[in-house]
Amino acid sequence: MNVDLQEFRGAFVAEAQEHLSGAQALLLAIEVAARAGRSAPRELRDLMRLLHTVKGLAAMVGVEPIVQLAHAMESTVRAAEQAGGVLEKAATDALVAGADAIAVRVRAVDGNRPPPAPPPDVLAALAGIEPPARVSRPELAIDPVLGAKLSASEKEQLRAGATGERRALRVDFAPSAERAASGITITSVRERIEKLGEIVKVVPINTPATAGTPGGLVFALLVLTTASVDELAEAAHVPPGTVTVFAEAPAAPPVPVREEELPEDSQAEDARTLRVDVRRVDDAIDLLGALVVTRSRLARAIERLERTGTDCRELRAVLTDNARQLRDLRAAILRVRMVPIASALDRLPFVVRGLRQATGKHVQLALDLGSAELDKTVGERLFPALVHLVRNAVDHGIETPAERVAAGKSPDGTIRITSSAFDRNVELRIADDGRGVDPASVAARAQAPMPTTDDELLELLCRAGLSTRAAIDTTSGRGMGMDIVRRTVERLGGELLLETAPGHGTTFVIRVPLTVAIVDAFTVLCRGEHFAVPVPVIEEIVELGRLVSPTHAGGPRLLARRGETVPVIDLGDALGLPPAAPAVQALLVRPARGEVIGYGVDRVLGQQEIVVRPLVDPLVASAAISGSTDLGDGRATVVLDLVGLAALAVERRRGRAA
Amino acid sequence: MLVRGSANAVARCPRNYAWFEVDAAPRIFEGEKTVPEILVVDDSKVMRDMIAACLRPDPSLAITQAASGLEAIERLSLKAYDALVLDLNMPDIGGLEVVEFVRGQDKLKTLPILIVTTRADDGSREKVLAAGASKYLTKPFTPDVILAELQGLLGS
Repeated sequence: MNVDLQEFRGAFVAEAQEHLSGAQALLLAIEVAARAGRSAPRELRDLMRLLHTVKGLAAMVGVEPIVQLAHAMESTVRAAEQAGGVLEKAATDALVAGADAIAVRVRAVDGNRPPPAPPPDVLAALAGIEPPARVSRPELAIDPVLGAKLSASEKEQLRAGATGERRALRVDFAPSAERAASGITITSVRERIEKLGEIVKVVPINTPATAGTPGGLVFALLVLTTASVDELAEAAHVPPGTVTVFAEAPAAPPVPVREEELPEDSQAEDARTLRVDVRRVDDAIDLLGALVVTRSRLARAIERLERTGTDCRELRAVLTDNARQLRDLRAAILRVRMVPIASALDRLPFVVRGLRQATGKHVQLALDLGSAELDKTVGERLFPALVHLVRNAVDHGIETPAERVAAGKSPDGTIRITSSAFDRNVELRIADDGRGVDPASVAARAQAPMPTTDDELLELLCRAGLSTRAAIDTTSGRGMGMDIVRRTVERLGGELLLETAPGHGTTFVIRVPLTVAIVDAFTVLCRGEHFAVPVPVIEEIVELGRLVSPTHAGGPRLLARRGETVPVIDLGDALGLPPAAPAVQALLVRPARGEVIGYGVDRVLGQQEIVVRPLVDPLVASAAISGSTDLGDGRATVVLDLVGLAALAVERRRGRAA
Repeated sequence: MLVRGSANAVARCPRNYAWFEVDAAPRIFEGEKTVPEILVVDDSKVMRDMIAACLRPDPSLAITQAASGLEAIERLSLKAYDALVLDLNMPDIGGLEVVEFVRGQDKLKTLPILIVTTRADDGSREKVLAAGASKYLTKPFTPDVILAELQGLLGS
């Protein structure tokens, strides 16, 4: 049997990306600590470990450029960690560049392209970092057996961490087969203790095997915490006598720690917060989806009963109650999936930091996101679009400091992101105070007439390919164009708006529904097949009574509608289904502002709630299909993305016209 | 939709019960041991899976995974394994500390330990071999190399 490790490339990409975003968050935290004059020993250790893991994985799947970069970064971090936990600014900058360079190569692996060699300047910058001077500190009063197992940075973390109400404690946990059988293991104890404080180190200690230590093993967990001895003992399932305090702040702490600088994870809020693996919530949603499907089957069974003349009033009443309870249950589960918008966007400051360095512009990011929440999936899908808008704002919106002063503005540009939730939608406003979008130059680049409104201007900006052609530079040149930004928002059932004032700035407004998992959909019959179409994208359903013949052979038939002519395409033709009788009804959709398209179907069957399961297989993914669902008959039904289908049709027509 | 198959049950078990997660089908009974049981320790899931895939061509091996040095030490203190495949770089407790613990326990003095790690730094190779590791493999390695090394350790 041959084992090919190349099969693990996909898994490598996923895990490497996870580690990279972890590394970026750690670098930010280290930089913030350095600015406040504090050391960040734990963050440095975590960073070192992440880089080492990435290096090992890359070596196994044979991606040498990533091995080299991760190795160089790890060496820099190791030197700082051994010197006591301080990273100089030059080192942070070099590490950020290194992380970016790795990200580029991971994307290359993901796209099956050969990853480029490491940038020599990044490697040179990393190699040129001088190890910081070792800081000498007083010895920590700790059991010498334990002390010998702690690194310099761990001792530093314990010493610096025991300030104010926080003390350094040692919790001893002895594993046993009985405890393991009831789910109490070092892993579970570690998780519970971690909710109460910051675990600096877990030290295994060999002891003679006794009734209390059947494995001949005791784990000593060294914890920084404000929690009491009793709380820790309970969390570790051990008697309070096995918890000892070994470092407390002196009466007057040497460095006063401000309240907001305390790590958030040790605060009282945790007592009311439960961290749950997202997959468990997804499981609940799957099960709820099954309930929704069962309910539609029940409803249809009742309909059949009623047709036979049976009195079903009581059943109907139960069904109505059931519907309300399902709605409430759905709302309750979806609330669990909601994350604060602020946490969905917590990587944006890092993006802006990178842009500041790449462009030399002075830009501040002001996030005023309040306490509004949105579905985690929506947040994840929206994030790349927001990154693009922020990049655009820095590249094209914000002027250089000199230009800003000349225009009578402060030299520092500001990008302000605010959010508000209303009804079942959330609105995000991405506003910069830069030069604004110049309609004349956009019109010139697009070779189109001068737009007179912001909506028309946005339409031009969203022409496929325009933004990438206009700006091939280090930042905006890559990634997505405005057309993709808008399509991302529209696929979420939302809309993108633009407000701009020359000289004063540009604001993009994104409105999206708070959740996407369950939507109202029309079920339609088309050449014998059932399809589902989400209700929000449909402008109108019309009877195809009087259709005008096309002006040229082969073109779509036309429908006169309130003085407008609307092209009507037979949905069956658009999907390539075998020909049959012409459509009798049409669903009107508006793909991009101004261009309504009709899709002809045999019949609209009804409207119902559906649970959309996204198609994850890239072989099946298509612009015209947003997922599959079960309408209650146990069969998979395709959920059509008519906006995507229409966009394809428009592109095709433009392609023919050109 | 409810979980029935045992494979699913493992995947859906809460992390606290990872103790019961055994990847290989063969069952091992104390006393009448027939199948060598290997404990593979690495904090990277992908790396653990890769190592397990490398060892799979030998159907006589039962493979158990541990996601941290802590979990490995706990398992080793409570149950007998025939060999340990160990990463050096892990949170809380690195591979070196696992080796030190293992060699500090009388019942584990002869347990074969295969260290699997990335490009040596700081003389980590010398340190961990001095602490009592049996063999040291540097990533990247090919599947047949690690399988041969492990079979060699089990045979000796």
